[in-house]
Amino acid sequence: CAKDKSDYNIDIKNPQVATAPPLFTAAAKSFSDIITSPSVNNNPFRFYAQYWTSTEYLDEPRYNLLARPIPQAFWQALYRDVLMDLREARKLITADQFMAAPTKASQLAQTEIMEVMAWSTLVNTYGNIPYSEALDVTKTQPKYDDAATIYADLLTRLDAALTTLNSGATGYGAADVFYNGDIAKWRKFGNSLKLRLGLILADKDPAKAKTLIEAAAPNVMTSAADNLTFRYMKTTPNNNPIANATNPGLTTRKDYVGAKPFIDKLNSLQDPRRAGFFTTVGGNFVGGYYGFSNSYSNFSTLNPKIAAYDFEALLLDYTEVEFALAEAAARGFTVPGTAETHYNNAITSSILYWGGTTAQAATYLARPDVAWSSASANYREKIGLQKWIALYNRGYDAWVEWKRLDYPVLAPPSPATAPPGETISPGLVIPVRLIYPINEQTLNTANRAAAASAIGGDLITSKIFWDVN
Amino acid sequence: QQKNVSGTVRDQGDGQPIPGVSVRVSGSQTGTSTNADGTYTISVQAGASLVFSSVGYVTQTRQVGSGTTLNVELASDSKELSEVVVTALGITRKKNELAYAAQEVRAEDITRTRDNNLVNSLGGKVAGLDIRRNNTMGGSTNVVIRGFKSISGNNQALFVIDGVPVSNANINTANQQTGRAGFDYGNAAADINPDDVESMNVLKGAAATALYGSRAANGVIIITTKKGRKGSTNFSVNSGLTWGNIDKTTFPEYQKEYGAGYGTPATDGAGNPVPVPGFWYRDIFGNGKELITQFTSDASYGPRFNPSLLVYQWGSLDPSSPTYKQKTPWVAAANGPDKFYETALVSNQSIAIDGGGENTTYKVGYTRNDENGVLPNSKITKNLFNFGASREMAKNLRVEASANYSRIEGLGRYGTGYANLNPNQNFRQWYQTNVDMLELKDAFFRNRRNITWNWSDATGTRPIYADNPYFTRYKNLVTDSRNHFFGNITATYKFAEWLDVLGRVTYDGTGDLQEERIAVGSYAVSSYARTNRNASETNYDLLLNFKHDFSEVFTFRGLLGANLRRDNVNSIRAQTNGGLVAPDLYSLLNSVSPIEAPVEIYQRRAVDGHFASATFGYRNMLVLDATIRRDVSSTLPTTNNEFWYPSVAAGFTFSELMKQQTWLSYGKLRVNYAQVGNDAPPLSVYDVYTKPTSFDVLPLFSVSNTKNNPALRPERTRSLEAGVEASFFKSRLGFDVTLYRTLSIDQITPVSVSSATGYTARYVNAGEVENKGIELSLYGTPVKTQNFSWNINLNFTSNRNIVLKLDPDAGGNIELAALQGGVTLNAAEGQPYGVIRGTDFVYLNGQPVVLPTGYYKVTTQSNHIIGDPNPDFMAGLQNGLKYKNIALNFLIDMRQGGDLFSLDQWYGNGTGLYPGTAGLNDLGNPLRNTLANGGGIILPGVKEDGTPNNIRVDASTSAITPFGYSQNPPRAMRIYDASYIKLREVSLSYALPARLVEKIRPFKGVEASLIGRNLWIIHKNVPYADPEDALSSGNLSGYQSGSYPAVRTIGFNLRFKL
Repeated sequence: CAKDKSDYNIDIKNPQVATAPPLFTAAAKSFSDIITSPSVNNNPFRFYAQYWTSTEYLDEPRYNLLARPIPQAFWQALYRDVLMDLREARKLITADQFMAAPTKASQLAQTEIMEVMAWSTLVNTYGNIPYSEALDVTKTQPKYDDAATIYADLLTRLDAALTTLNSGATGYGAADVFYNGDIAKWRKFGNSLKLRLGLILADKDPAKAKTLIEAAAPNVMTSAADNLTFRYMKTTPNNNPIANATNPGLTTRKDYVGAKPFIDKLNSLQDPRRAGFFTTVGGNFVGGYYGFSNSYSNFSTLNPKIAAYDFEALLLDYTEVEFALAEAAARGFTVPGTAETHYNNAITSSILYWGGTTAQAATYLARPDVAWSSASANYREKIGLQKWIALYNRGYDAWVEWKRLDYPVLAPPSPATAPPGETISPGLVIPVRLIYPINEQTLNTANRAAAASAIGGDLITSKIFWDVN
Repeated sequence: QQKNVSGTVRDQGDGQPIPGVSVRVSGSQTGTSTNADGTYTISVQAGASLVFSSVGYVTQTRQVGSGTTLNVELASDSKELSEVVVTALGITRKKNELAYAAQEVRAEDITRTRDNNLVNSLGGKVAGLDIRRNNTMGGSTNVVIRGFKSISGNNQALFVIDGVPVSNANINTANQQTGRAGFDYGNAAADINPDDVESMNVLKGAAATALYGSRAANGVIIITTKKGRKGSTNFSVNSGLTWGNIDKTTFPEYQKEYGAGYGTPATDGAGNPVPVPGFWYRDIFGNGKELITQFTSDASYGPRFNPSLLVYQWGSLDPSSPTYKQKTPWVAAANGPDKFYETALVSNQSIAIDGGGENTTYKVGYTRNDENGVLPNSKITKNLFNFGASREMAKNLRVEASANYSRIEGLGRYGTGYANLNPNQNFRQWYQTNVDMLELKDAFFRNRRNITWNWSDATGTRPIYADNPYFTRYKNLVTDSRNHFFGNITATYKFAEWLDVLGRVTYDGTGDLQEERIAVGSYAVSSYARTNRNASETNYDLLLNFKHDFSEVFTFRGLLGANLRRDNVNSIRAQTNGGLVAPDLYSLLNSVSPIEAPVEIYQRRAVDGHFASATFGYRNMLVLDATIRRDVSSTLPTTNNEFWYPSVAAGFTFSELMKQQTWLSYGKLRVNYAQVGNDAPPLSVYDVYTKPTSFDVLPLFSVSNTKNNPALRPERTRSLEAGVEASFFKSRLGFDVTLYRTLSIDQITPVSVSSATGYTARYVNAGEVENKGIELSLYGTPVKTQNFSWNINLNFTSNRNIVLKLDPDAGGNIELAALQGGVTLNAAEGQPYGVIRGTDFVYLNGQPVVLPTGYYKVTTQSNHIIGDPNPDFMAGLQNGLKYKNIALNFLIDMRQGGDLFSLDQWYGNGTGLYPGTAGLNDLGNPLRNTLANGGGIILPGVKEDGTPNNIRVDASTSAITPFGYSQNPPRAMRIYDASYIKLREVSLSYALPARLVEKIRPFKGVEASLIGRNLWIIHKNVPYADPEDALSSGNLSGYQSGSYPAVRTIGFNLRFKL
């Protein structure tokens, strides 16, 4: 009888037990997907950095965050699809009594480093967020923690993880999609992340930044072979999400063209990476009016190799590290090498990555408007500009750097930027923050309201705590 | 001494002959029945008695005298006292014994206008019943009795056919139900042969359905099929043909002044001027720069039409086109999208035979229904077989069985929602008014290729957003089939006059196959997907019926029973990955990339019920009914899966005390209380992981998005109901009014949680929903003479629904669906179920505020309640006029109140399709002129200082228009009142008079009808759409995207009886 039919309620088509490695791999993929996606539903940052603009549909390049629930999608991907799986992996590893201790230590450290990366992404995007009470379904209305406090904790956790990474074991081994169990590379990645976070803190807390950066700098990535890359595959659904929106094999839509501010700057610098970034129109690189309708065929669009199914996603790379070291040196922190060397290394590395040659790089670096010695007296301006170019296609990271360095100077769509014969109501501003998801307004009302007032309002103009300028 | 006796049986009231009266020799099985003219002939022993009986008349016994003629007049029965109705579990009760609301619909009222979907035919005919349909061919119909009670569970009434619970499950995908891409595969309750239905009894309240326990909360529709009668043979043939055309009041009208484009830029983007703004100016054929339509733009905010201007248009890129490489005049299309719709044709043929001998009865029926829809290349074929038989196996042992088999085959079901497979997504939202539909048709049929108006570039090889709609219909084909079998075997043994026992096995099983195709060359990635789904429900019933009359005045009916229910759903859906290799090969092996693991679903449910009921009667005047049921359900946690459902009901036939009052024919008061329930959905107790497709050789696991709950309890609905029914003047006038209140508590629902918890939803018992309302049925016969009669029947329903309380963690709101366009449907505390949220106007003194820019001020948050889809009331008015053999019936159906958000208007106004986006402004200038040229419009409202708005806002391009989506006006701007009044059904029928029928023996009756459905929308407020058109059956309503127009149907039907 029904009383004894308890097996009827068991889902025999889905797994009830899991191990940590597939959870870790899934989290890594989810992280790469959300950071890399160009979908207007969840990642508008290539627009915000003015790399691309849209052809017809203007909500997102005009910073509308209500037409599609972008803040919700981005938040949910990080909490639910990345952090929850990492937390579950950690739980399973901890509970495993039979795993060798070195493996266990390394797996926990790898999980922790990924967590730090995901958490810092959330803070850099929203400011105060649920942290200490998050990822616990018994706390359905988690409180929001102070962003600076979270940052401090993340840095502590990162340091702890760096010490427990155990070179005697391969950690996740083959399930480690980034480094295939190479713990030495994890150590470089972890230190590079520490360098990144240190710089983010640099304007807010220079002393702490100095300590962090000086500790990390000797141990960071030293070549492109150390890059944190997610290598997408040629088959759906494991392809690069850029292909979903741009590859003719997966869509006929033609939604994106290169944006005028970016391409104009590349043109003025005769940047050798242009061909790697974009297609040409009549032999020229032509950018579309940012935030206005643009006829697809009139403008440069992304180089087809970016739309390839298996185009790799860069999540943290050597180029970025070199820029960071250049900036650290320029800030007067004690790091190996000079600012100029690191700056040159960074640009060279980027040009090589995008298909250029060392000769091209040398020519480029010799330009007065590029060269460290002459480009600008302000390190923020010259690094800001070159890092912006180098971070092309990494809209999210470029947006964070733009917020932090305040360079390049980007203008929101306005009557002044409109194409001839068109106009727009003035008043748009480029977001320096995503607003909290609509769901938080309804499901976590009091805590969200408290967080909103703590950060100066749940607005796209409220600055993250480290964004002091 | 055997002799032939003959005569005519007439109605005592109007003297009309009564056909079909059973004439039986008392004490034997010998009998006959009267012909169409009321005459009979029977061979009897002298001195024997004949028993004359017919439904609705008092049975009369007459002794055969010496003569050979025996004419009889039957008195019409007070039907309320004696009419037998079928109630829960197939138990028959006299209507007088019912102490709860139940409303019967007779076969003729269902089949009169020959709707393919039996469920649709109930619309407007039963108080308390909310029938929500859609306009797709074979689409599903939602049936809700007394309002939505369950927040996320099933709210649809249970269908029980001859004791067999029959699935009316919605098998459409979640995407389809939320207005995204999909197909509506219909509802299985529509697989019933309407011609086999004898009557339908709608049990509305919990007291009426309490014996069904954990599945009783939503009311039950009991369908009784026709039965063969002993000693007779009947043969009937029905043949009908109907034609349908779209009702153009439910289809867009287009502005005819401007064509393709999102705007009219003066340059080509690279800074070079264009001779005529709004066209491209390029060299595409190597003969110099020419003007070209902006055919990548799926909008009509482009340049003004000008017949003397010649431009390259989409057809100029098609080498097979007569206009290849030719320029054509820039004019509005001569043939709009309405020309895409064809005439629907439905043929309905049925045959039924029934009869019986001394110990057996039988019936066999077959219906074939061929429906060609209004979209090109659409067809549904239904073959419905039914069989039923009974036999007295031995003294006191009766065995009955029925078997029904339906095969439904669909070809080209309509794509629904926001999807390219739905041509209305273009026609209503994203379209160019310069595109001629007949040219598109020719363009497709020349080579059956995807020659579209929406090329992705000047090479004309691929569409950018929209396929040629004919390509969609002929190449992106969906096919489906359903085998549906249901039936029962029942044995009844009568131990004694006071005790019988019934054993019954019922089975309902469906096997669906759905195959969806996207052809190579389509806008979307080519694909083939197939879903196989098998579902079944088996019930085993054992019922002990007691009947004891303690005395003349004091009666008792008792019931003890058990029910075992076993459900099983087993489905698999697989699809190709990354495209198709060979065109037109629709097979999983034709996948470009290796296919992902198919989605398998296996769900089971076991419910064991034990129940008892007792009914005490006193002098036909008082009745007291009590039931109790205990259910054990496998879907609940084993520690807590046993539940009790009680009911008690009392009826008082006060007219029995007022027999001397001849104006009062019948009067009864009834009051009842019950608790029923809903168990949990299967598999909502224990957690599982999800397993996405492996990353190369690396497996992926992920924590499920929904947290299950091992502490669930069943949902409960408590219902209190009181009613009065009365009839007057020999039942010429009557009413039935019911007041009810139901409170549904412990709602089992996946509640959204902050995704900072790591989940997006979790299952909880949470929430209380109250429904209270009034149901009123009024009927009357204002005129009744020998030759003419007029019957009126009015049904009125007003239900007030409110979500009283939700889980404390739900934040006062459960989002039921997030929909395209930035609106959500919600269960919100203190609000009716299903309210629409989105951005609203900001009001000042009741007027919408307009900003200094001229645009409406919009709330900063998008969680404002901007609409309530629930109607204030619904009503149906049926009229039947009969003059001699001619009958005219018509039904007016109305719904007052209830809102919907129109994504069609939201986008279509932003893309400049509708007439309101063009024309002249208050200055007499084209409103699409720029402000500098005297264009723009003044939005109704007030400025921020409260003075009337006088700011003209630019409406010259799609990007800045205040009418539609691009400037994000308040979503509330595109909320509409979904009220309607419709002339739903009309039929004019003529029955051949008896004396003519006699001449064409063997016919016993011939009837011809002219029928019409949905002929006239008398009133509505939703522009260019049918306010009734829904996405799908299910809990979501109040939203239209790519809505299908209503179809006006006319036709004729012939019915022969032999």
